[in-house]
Amino acid sequence: MTRPSTGLAYGRWTPFWFLAPAVLALALIGLYPTLFALATSFRQYNLTRTRDGFPFVGFDNYVTVLTDPTFWQTLGRTGLFFLCVMPVEVALGLAAALLLHQTGLGMLRALARVSLVIPLATTYAVVGLLGRLIFNRDFGVANAGAAALGFGPIDWLGSPTGAFTAIAAMDVWQWTPFCALIFLSGLSMVPVEIEEAARLETGSKWALLSHVQSPYLWPGLTAMLILRSADVLKLFDSVFTMTRGGPGAATELISIYIQRVGFRVFDMGVASAQALLLLVLTIVLARLYIRFFYREID
Amino acid sequence: MLSLLRHVSAAAILMATATFAAAPAVAETWDIAKAAAPYKGTQLNVIFLDRPGYRAIIKLLPDFEKATGIKVNYEIVPYENTRQKEVLNFNGQGDLSIALVDLVWIGEFAENGWIAPIDKFQSDASITDPNLNLKGFFPLLLDAFGSWGGKVYGLPFDNYSGLLFYNKCELKAAGFDKPPATWAELKDVYAPKLTDKAKNQYGYALQSLRGETQSADSFMRVLWPQGGSLLDKTFHSNLMSKESQAGLTFRQDMMKYMPPGVVSWDHAEAVNGFAQGQVAMITEWSAFYPTLTDPKTSKIGDCLGVAPEPAGPAGRLPALGGFSLSVASGAPEKVQKAAWIFIQWATSDAIAKDYVEAGGVSGRTAIYEDPAIKAKYSFVEPMVASWQKGVPEFRPRFPAWPAISEVVAEFGSKIMLGEVSAEQGSKEIGTRMETILKKEGYYDGKKPLLQ
Repeated sequence: MTRPSTGLAYGRWTPFWFLAPAVLALALIGLYPTLFALATSFRQYNLTRTRDGFPFVGFDNYVTVLTDPTFWQTLGRTGLFFLCVMPVEVALGLAAALLLHQTGLGMLRALARVSLVIPLATTYAVVGLLGRLIFNRDFGVANAGAAALGFGPIDWLGSPTGAFTAIAAMDVWQWTPFCALIFLSGLSMVPVEIEEAARLETGSKWALLSHVQSPYLWPGLTAMLILRSADVLKLFDSVFTMTRGGPGAATELISIYIQRVGFRVFDMGVASAQALLLLVLTIVLARLYIRFFYREID
Repeated sequence: MLSLLRHVSAAAILMATATFAAAPAVAETWDIAKAAAPYKGTQLNVIFLDRPGYRAIIKLLPDFEKATGIKVNYEIVPYENTRQKEVLNFNGQGDLSIALVDLVWIGEFAENGWIAPIDKFQSDASITDPNLNLKGFFPLLLDAFGSWGGKVYGLPFDNYSGLLFYNKCELKAAGFDKPPATWAELKDVYAPKLTDKAKNQYGYALQSLRGETQSADSFMRVLWPQGGSLLDKTFHSNLMSKESQAGLTFRQDMMKYMPPGVVSWDHAEAVNGFAQGQVAMITEWSAFYPTLTDPKTSKIGDCLGVAPEPAGPAGRLPALGGFSLSVASGAPEKVQKAAWIFIQWATSDAIAKDYVEAGGVSGRTAIYEDPAIKAKYSFVEPMVASWQKGVPEFRPRFPAWPAISEVVAEFGSKIMLGEVSAEQGSKEIGTRMETILKKEGYYDGKKPLLQ
């Protein structure tokens, strides 16, 4: 029996049609805004001076950005923030993943896995508001804990170091579960027979981790670094609601500075140049991570 | 000479006749339903804040909508996002029909043509309340909140003055039977006696969170009473003047009487610190009076005292802030007319009492002459006293202010934290501010020196 022809048979263009909606959506929501930002970055484009028009200014906006000391200071602060939070998140995430990878504990383990999603699902602005309460000098939980350990009230949000520590702590709270879940998925990919054989060979958990499990963790770590680098470079809501970048400039990360230029001063030309330079930085970092951290599983 | 006299007398008689003829019009009744009839069914869109003045007008809105058939759609937005939303809306030919204008945005909104001057509508008698009476507003408010370049664009709607809120009981326990009259007295006499760090008690708190709170509420507040200012007459920095430096040094000297971390305090924390009895005195906006008298949000009860802000060597120059409502010029003509009817109603003498009783602060003078209002709201007298004299340019109202505010907020906080000295911070603000003003064209005669 032959199937009647419907005119929808697989042909040369079939893959194209399947991919087209996704490509179109990406072009509309990703490519078009990026190209628009690129065009804007070469123009004087201030939304509060539209009467002056949007003249082409060549690389002026890029020169403004690259010679702006505040841009470099905020970028440096963002780098420092990443270097402070990422190792802690990776270490705590790995520890949590190894605990959850153990056998037994049935219901508790399932509950812990589900609860890992809660911080991830919390809106950034809510994380900031929670942080504002947790680190309140007079009635915050952080100082209640410090008092229980015999320390006097710490002025978290009113001092530059305290505020930086507070935003870092909230970031660690929100993103450690993400690292834990990625590591957990890596650990679950280790073939059971290999892991069991290794356990028979050695009782050392470190040897098991470094020789058997780690090859399955490197791709996840690379993904984590790429995603978190991009995320820290655009981290805005939680920090803004918690400190507004202050006190002074202690928590003014690059995204907060770009927001100020773009949506307070409304200098979209300069803000677009800043954003595109960050895009380039993110791509370079991603390539470096893949070059130095990514390993194929043999 | 005789001819000149004759002309002058003729003009005087003509003016007197005109005044006489206009008098009955003032007493004319305004049938808002009739005026609004052609606009029945029109939808108005406006941004409101989550503050008492807006909650008050929302309570009264059903009366307006029932009488006119005009629907007012409001979106409640945090203050920090309001200008951003409005600027994007105006640039994108959005749906806003009324602009909520903070006094520091008036220059930017007017110069960009986003708001329409009221003379466009005033000339149309069919949509203008004969009792509009612009002279019935406090002149300082109409000038500062609603006017730019000699033209009126908006009517004062949500009006604030900085006031000194003090805890009468704490002051009495410290041996004071009245609030400080001068800033020097506050610092040298009151604050030391009211501060006991061991008990977590502080004499004074000045909300100073980075942002507009730092630049407007904290930084500018200490400049004016000492005789200082941000700019001189040529629009160059005046921060290195003896008076401005005295103001910033005064704030640093006050730090030891303020709670630790005051640099991260916004209005909510300052009001709460005072409401819970941790702080004996704050200088805050009059709009926080309902929060401080509500037992749900304040423990202070009968201990609440309200006075005008203390005077400095330059006199009593309290913080001035508030919002006007203007017609958005991008809205269709019919919607603009309906918006004008709404704005007149919301700021009118006719609803002023209801508005105040619902928690708002009217910009009309007549309402505060009512003995019942004076007796019921203890903030009224000091607020009215504060509005008799003030500086409209307490914060410059030109379009460059948002960019300058960012610089002031950053270095103002750094000065308070001791990261830079008052002098270093002032120099840095001055240099960056002049760069912004140069770019704006103030130094090459391209723009009039309006602030």
